[in-house]
Amino acid sequence: MSTQSIITGTTGARRRSGRPVALMLPALVLTVVLMVVPIGTTIVRVIADGGEGLVRLFAAPNIGPVMWNTLVWTVGSVIGGIVIGYLGALVLQSKHLRLVGLWRGLVMIPWIIPGVVAATVWRWTLSTDYGILNQTLLDVGLIDSPVRWLSNPDIVLIAVALIQIWVTAPFVMLMVSAALTGIPEERYEAARLDGAGSATILWHIILPAIRTTTGICILTLAIWALNSFTIIYVTTSGGPAGASTILPILLYQAFQQGDQTLVYAVAFVQLIIGAVFAVLFARTMRTDIEEQS
Amino acid sequence: MKNRALARPFAVIGVWFILALILVWSLAPVVVMVFTSFKPRDEIFQVPTRLLPDVWTWDNFVTVFTASNMPGALLNSIVVGLLVAAATLIFCFSAGYALARFKFRGARPMALFILLGQVVPLTVVLLPLYQIVSSMQLLDTTIGLAFAHLAITVPLVTWMVRNQIAAIPVDLEEAAQIDGGSRFDAVTYITLPICAPGLVAAGMFAFLQSWHEFLFASVMTSSTAARTAPVALTEFANEFSVDWGATMAASVVLTVPLVIAFIALQRYFVGGLTGGAVKG
Repeated sequence: MSTQSIITGTTGARRRSGRPVALMLPALVLTVVLMVVPIGTTIVRVIADGGEGLVRLFAAPNIGPVMWNTLVWTVGSVIGGIVIGYLGALVLQSKHLRLVGLWRGLVMIPWIIPGVVAATVWRWTLSTDYGILNQTLLDVGLIDSPVRWLSNPDIVLIAVALIQIWVTAPFVMLMVSAALTGIPEERYEAARLDGAGSATILWHIILPAIRTTTGICILTLAIWALNSFTIIYVTTSGGPAGASTILPILLYQAFQQGDQTLVYAVAFVQLIIGAVFAVLFARTMRTDIEEQS
Repeated sequence: MKNRALARPFAVIGVWFILALILVWSLAPVVVMVFTSFKPRDEIFQVPTRLLPDVWTWDNFVTVFTASNMPGALLNSIVVGLLVAAATLIFCFSAGYALARFKFRGARPMALFILLGQVVPLTVVLLPLYQIVSSMQLLDTTIGLAFAHLAITVPLVTWMVRNQIAAIPVDLEEAAQIDGGSRFDAVTYITLPICAPGLVAAGMFAFLQSWHEFLFASVMTSSTAARTAPVALTEFANEFSVDWGATMAASVVLTVPLVIAFIALQRYFVGGLTGGAVKG
């Protein structure tokens, strides 16, 4: 695809003189080396092994739970991130607030903190005996005994998803805030004159106006969750007993064991899932590129 | 009308209440991190846990800077980050300029092609990239890690730079060319200075991405020669059999530069990140 683009690019219609393709070349070559070659290698290796890795992967007893964990983790993280992100953006938009810049800066902190730090801090906060969350819940009387957030297989996935939501919700707030400022004031006024309440305005004016942003946020959060490694690895390493193992963790474990065949198999599955999202992403971005140029 | 007058104070209280909830949710773990980092050892493992230290101490920070691998790891992080920022800017300015200023067949596929780098899972490229870096004899070096990090920064920053350049009227460059300058002069003396602040922000963004990155760093660096701060932070646990005070102090050290950089450059980050994706 890229070589064809390069050939037609130099002979095709140009707005001004110059060598756009020569300027693009360094970044293109880099993308080829860092992305295309690895992806190509993955596909070639999976085929060259005669699908042995895939057979082993899908015959493994833990593949069902891993796929299920990946799905639950992704859906949970996306829904949580969207809900909290929208809530934050709408509140920050309110005219009743003062010092909006300060609040906006503060709620961004979880997003700018390094992922490893976020995971480490939460590991401490969620600690069964010394964690402040359990202590607070005990003090308030919501629980009778400490919750084993990261060591109870039944709730560990919820606990790690909470961390992912904590990290990603500010991104949604940022995107939605930017989109909200683009809605002309007159539209709200017109709606209010027609007697619309807050809920009606939200449903019939705000949400339709920022539909593209919503789409991009959902896609981005889903991609991040599907490919997320650091938070789960640092807090639980996929445990206890695989209860928080998702595909990227499975791949990393295979990598550590030097099981290259299995690494390529998992990478291939991730690639297929990723391709679906890539197509959706490209569709959303394409309209964007057309409108901008 | 009466209904409105009544609704108003409730709306005000409601808004502030939700804001308070969101602030607690966002900041509580950060507050815990900061306070824990100032607690002496016996208070850290005190039950019931309390938020504030009774005795404030700098001991944990002293441990981080004198009795751990963290200073070396921080230095490695800075070196890798600077390499990544410099390389990213060179690659992305030229690509971003081409995408913003030329209309050519293949522009859209190429833009999408680079952009899609954002969607490729890092774990998918992990093993092949590891082998590439290994075959270049660059494993466990800062240069090798910086090279791998370009996979993360180039797609994003190309887009940021493209948008910045597209926002500068092309007339300015043309005016310089009419006055007898070459296109190269026009870019050097007109375009570059105008988007310099944006480029600094983009470079900073690349630096921060590298500063954050954990997966590649943990796989491609193994010794203190190239190990970066995020990896060193996770190894803290083993090194000191989970010295939580020192771990939290190191977490603070890793976070503070980011918060300062973010406050200083907030304007550019917000514009750069949302510019590619959001329209009003």
